[in-house]
Amino acid sequence: MAETVLKLENINYSYIDGGYERQILKDLSYEFEKGKFYTILGPSGSGKTTLLSIIAGLDTAKSGEIFFEGKNIKEIGLYKYRRNAISIVFQQYNLISYLTALENVMLAMSETDNKLPKDRKNVAYNLLERFGIVRSKADRMVNQLSGGEQQRVAIARSLASNVDLIFADEPTGNLDTATEREIIAIFKELSQEFGKTIIVVTHSNTVSEMSDHRVLLRDGKLNEL
Amino acid sequence: MNFINRAFKNVTRRPSKSVLLILTFFLIGNLVIIGLGVSNAAESAKILTRKKMRAVVTYAIDFNKVNRYVESLTDEDEINKFYENYPRVKVEDVSQFLSDPRVRIANSISSNMWYIDSEKTLDFVHLNNTREQNMEDSGGQSCWYDESGGMNCETYQEPVFFVKSNMYPGMIEFEDGGYQVVSGRFYNQKEIDDAEMVCLVSQNLAAANGLSVGDHIRLGTNYLSSYLQRMGVVTEDLDVEFEVIGIYSHNNPLTPDSSNWEYASPFENPDNMIFMPTTSVFMAQLPVQQKTFDYIAQQNPEEEYYSDPDNRPSIENMEKTMYIENATLLLDDPLNVEQFVKDHESSLSQFTSLDANNEEFKRLSKPLDTLSMYANFIVWLVVINAIVIITLVTALTLKTREYEIGVLLSVGASKLKVIGQFFIELALVAVIGFTLSVVSGSLIAKRIGNSVLEAQIATSDLANEEEFGFDYIDIWNTDYSTEISLDDLISEYEVSISPLIIAEIYVLGLGIVLISVIIPSFMIMRYNPKKILMNQN
Repeated sequence: MAETVLKLENINYSYIDGGYERQILKDLSYEFEKGKFYTILGPSGSGKTTLLSIIAGLDTAKSGEIFFEGKNIKEIGLYKYRRNAISIVFQQYNLISYLTALENVMLAMSETDNKLPKDRKNVAYNLLERFGIVRSKADRMVNQLSGGEQQRVAIARSLASNVDLIFADEPTGNLDTATEREIIAIFKELSQEFGKTIIVVTHSNTVSEMSDHRVLLRDGKLNEL
Repeated sequence: MNFINRAFKNVTRRPSKSVLLILTFFLIGNLVIIGLGVSNAAESAKILTRKKMRAVVTYAIDFNKVNRYVESLTDEDEINKFYENYPRVKVEDVSQFLSDPRVRIANSISSNMWYIDSEKTLDFVHLNNTREQNMEDSGGQSCWYDESGGMNCETYQEPVFFVKSNMYPGMIEFEDGGYQVVSGRFYNQKEIDDAEMVCLVSQNLAAANGLSVGDHIRLGTNYLSSYLQRMGVVTEDLDVEFEVIGIYSHNNPLTPDSSNWEYASPFENPDNMIFMPTTSVFMAQLPVQQKTFDYIAQQNPEEEYYSDPDNRPSIENMEKTMYIENATLLLDDPLNVEQFVKDHESSLSQFTSLDANNEEFKRLSKPLDTLSMYANFIVWLVVINAIVIITLVTALTLKTREYEIGVLLSVGASKLKVIGQFFIELALVAVIGFTLSVVSGSLIAKRIGNSVLEAQIATSDLANEEEFGFDYIDIWNTDYSTEISLDDLISEYEVSISPLIIAEIYVLGLGIVLISVIIPSFMIMRYNPKKILMNQN
């Protein structure tokens, strides 16, 4: 039996829209295993991004509990959880424009409390190189890089803080097919070689086909396909 | 990549935004420097002028208080009773002030004009002026009508020595350096208490008579007029012997250049001034005082006052029959004067007052006060406006940086660190802006400061005042307050940017930045990273 890294218990989430309460997540329960690559699929408006925000500690559910490695994330503290347990890759990359690629990677290193090697700069360079960003590009401001390169920087940043859980929201939404495949290959590699748990929200069949688990969000619940 | 480092990078890598903010702080800094520079120049001009003034406080009967009290009395007997026991400055009150460590010297001066003794053992220092020539040529005549209506005249003798005495050891004149003991010493408290016959004479008087410390001189407290003879006074009552315990020099020579030289009496020559304790003067004059008292008592047996032996001048009654009119206290520092008055005001008796002698100073420093007030007003106006402007700029900037904040929050950066970054960014540009303004502000402040002072004086009542001055040696003067003019104040007014002002600028700048970050901080605290990032995506 694989180890559970993230456990969701009876998650409910709703919001008021035009005077009516819209129930997005309904008694949602699910367990994510360590070192697996998950894709969450679902129609538009089904609540995929909302679910990702909640399990990434960016938002809170109306009710229900989330356990990271057996500990309730409320007890860990959402800031600490975001800092030390998870990292997120966004469709828009979410890099800071006045920093270089290297500095964006080091940003995550400076915030985490996780144990990191002393020579952080070199670690950051190596991470970027691993994802195809050579040193000359690593020292460029991020807006001087292509979309694919920026997404690689975002992925490198997500690994820099040495976390076990990586979330990605439509990470290939802005990329061409070739680059999309490259990025997914990286995710695959991260789960298989480094034991990271990857949870990707996507519309893309290309992405979902490469994952270990394809999970469908429908009617507020997660069901494995 | 901590938040301080990020702040530094944001400032250096977004130069256009930073330059605009630096320019804003530069303008604010210039205005604040001008305000602070002018205000400080006005305040320091006042302090420097005050320091130049003598640190004197006068303790005296407050006649305004006395008059108000008398006016409040309706009963004639009460009024008479009040006048019989008219309030006096007490010797022990002044002694109490002397126990305050700020008080260096107390002057309670009595002045007497004395004469050459009957045997003419001591000559005075001659001025050889018109007045002395007249004395030698014709002498003076003193005339009176006798009981039968006949006129009697006799030659009167001119006083030649000016005896200046103090109730306390030391004297402001000597403390200020106008007079210096060149040989021997000043009289002490024991000699005052024991009314010892000791004195200090001038260098010139000593030279004219071959005197040195330890010698004895004879002075006449009066000359034997027929009036005194009627009282029973004899030569022995008038001639008094004193030991010379000190010889002094002075900086106030009465020369032919002095406006009062030609008709000055010998006693008006500071060389003929003799210093001694007031108690010694009392002892010297006691025989004449007693005989005069006895004579009046005999002539007016109905007068109650003269029939009371307690009122008869005597050694035993010395304290009762000898009083002082006022005392001038010399303090250690002119800047302590006002505080000293404040500290002692509550313990004063009903009819006495302490006067800091600074009415003229206050009147003359009014333009500087007004200038300082306006300058401070400008500083605060600028600071308040700066806070509003910087708050607005920061709040508006926040909107464009929501995305960045969302990213920082998503990687686990705390909101306090985000606020810290914003604060440091502002502080960095503020430091640059203010540093540049220190250079330009000091130049502008000097020009503006001088022209606003000129404008302020031109519109004040002091603009057309003329100053009068005489080269006049006044031995009677016991007003120790220093005369100051508007020019004294203006000459001390100099707008310069001191390290203290620079420090103030940075403290104010830091304050502006701190306050300006408060409202944006509340906005950041309300940010939800999910909303920011989802909107962005």
